[in-house]
Amino acid sequence: MTVTRAREIFRKSLEGIVLSLMASLAIVVVVAVIFRKAGASLVWYDEVASILLAWLTYYGAALAALHRAHIGMPTLVQRLSGRMRVTVVLVAEACVLIFFVALTWAGLRVLSVLGGTTLVSLPWVPMAVAQSVIPIGAVLFIVAQLMSLPDALLDTTEVKDDSIKSTQEVAER
Amino acid sequence: MSLLAIGAVLLVLVLIGVPIAISLGIVAVVAMITGPSGVASLPNAGLVMFSGATSFPLIAIPLFILAGAIMNATGISRRLIALASALVGFIRGGLSMVTISASLFFAEISGSAVADVAALGSILIPAMKKKGYSRSFAAAVTSSSATLAVIIPPSIPMIIYGVMSGSSIVELFVAGIVPGVLGGLLMMLVAYLLARRHDFPREQAFQLDRVWSTLKDAGWALLLPLIILGGIFTGWVTATEGAGLAVVASVLIGGIVYRELDWSQLKKAMLEGGSQTAVVMLLVAASALLGDYLTEVRVPQQVAEGIMGLTQERWTILLLLNAFFLVIGLFLHSAAAIILVVPIVMPLVQAAGIDPVHFGLIVTLNLGIGQQTPPVASVLVTACSVAKADIWEVSKVNLYFISVLVTMLLLVTYVPIVPMALVEMFYR
Repeated sequence: MTVTRAREIFRKSLEGIVLSLMASLAIVVVVAVIFRKAGASLVWYDEVASILLAWLTYYGAALAALHRAHIGMPTLVQRLSGRMRVTVVLVAEACVLIFFVALTWAGLRVLSVLGGTTLVSLPWVPMAVAQSVIPIGAVLFIVAQLMSLPDALLDTTEVKDDSIKSTQEVAER
Repeated sequence: MSLLAIGAVLLVLVLIGVPIAISLGIVAVVAMITGPSGVASLPNAGLVMFSGATSFPLIAIPLFILAGAIMNATGISRRLIALASALVGFIRGGLSMVTISASLFFAEISGSAVADVAALGSILIPAMKKKGYSRSFAAAVTSSSATLAVIIPPSIPMIIYGVMSGSSIVELFVAGIVPGVLGGLLMMLVAYLLARRHDFPREQAFQLDRVWSTLKDAGWALLLPLIILGGIFTGWVTATEGAGLAVVASVLIGGIVYRELDWSQLKKAMLEGGSQTAVVMLLVAASALLGDYLTEVRVPQQVAEGIMGLTQERWTILLLLNAFFLVIGLFLHSAAAIILVVPIVMPLVQAAGIDPVHFGLIVTLNLGIGQQTPPVASVLVTACSVAKADIWEVSKVNLYFISVLVTMLLLVTYVPIVPMALVEMFYR
């Protein structure tokens, strides 16, 4: 299987998860409003909706990482030249990866100490299921970051050229 | 780890291109493991990164973002632009007037300035370029008017501020209405003066029947803010529930009334909404991690005591806080800045007797200005990328519009009746 094909499968799987989470969150909130207005508030609504938000955060963050959509400040890096730029990009990549490796470890440690704890409103759901999003999300982020690295290295060159072109057009005007 | 070291490491990480959310997380983790508990404190990072993303009122964020994305996919931005063009297009620099007024309309539906720029800018910036406006002007007016829109409800920074300060999100929303409209008018005046200087064109002459036909076409789009904000302001639904209703209303209006929403567009809107939410929420969670550390080492109390030692005069304290937030806004995204800094300064705000809702508006507007000032300027960067313009060239023109935002900030800070009149009238 080629890298491109693997990346495509990874992207589609993440998109499927993010779509389901987004839809579930919207449906849960709307259904809860209807029930509350009908005088029968859902006891599990607050807790489940909050957990869905956390899941959306981390699965969505991996998807955003695949598209390099996290907010940062690329202008300085784009102004650097060839080898220096690549070095800085790789150092930044290493920082990101180390953070998520640490978060994976921290997330797994949390899971190991949670034991039999369950959700308050749904006692048949182990807390570990909800919290699993941290180590899983961190690993997915690492994979997404690595898969998008080649494009990111290329992109910085293209953006730089584009920015130079724009500056020239502005100057001509 | 000292505050200075935290700031320095954060700055270096952001400058080398590490995303802001992850830079905040890295600094927090380094601070934790170099502290007295060492590596043993690391599992706490897993817990806080989870709990930081599970705050219930924040659920309004993905839903408002999703509603905005759906409405954008269903041609609502196009209809709003047509209406704005019929109303104000006849003035000199007509398209810039259209941009500002459409931004104000759009703000009442979407909660995010970046979403506003992407939605309106993709139509209006190319149109302005075609009509002979400079690309720097086109990007600057789109970017600044979208930021002004952040103080018009619903507003994501206000939701986050409400959660962090424990103030009423509804009151915050209401406090933003008057300054938002005033700022819009002032921005139109600046755009008009620049248009006269550069001889930018007018659009079609004002015609009542054109206003009527565009109003009919955009009627349902205009009904949306009434449904969303009306429900929230009257207390019929909470902000989160109102956001849920916004999603339902946008699907119904886009799919059934306008018939412009099919499954592939809905899917695209949901993916966009999901990604944008994740970007903001990762910032929220990572900021919570660093904020947790700062609270643990009693930074809020130290800052409050330090400033109260210097002055106890409320207006001087507000001036210091404004300066502080302006500097923070240069380097941090608004979500991160609110989560990190609001808990730090809240003891001071309370001690000085400043109304937290009034302060919330000051913070939101202040960090909005930060979205316009490089190096970290998410809204400006989006506008520049749509306009394919150089960020520094745009910033030169943008100074005129930023001066409007600063004027509004001073007005909101020192004439509290401007933001608070409606709140006092209806909620207190």
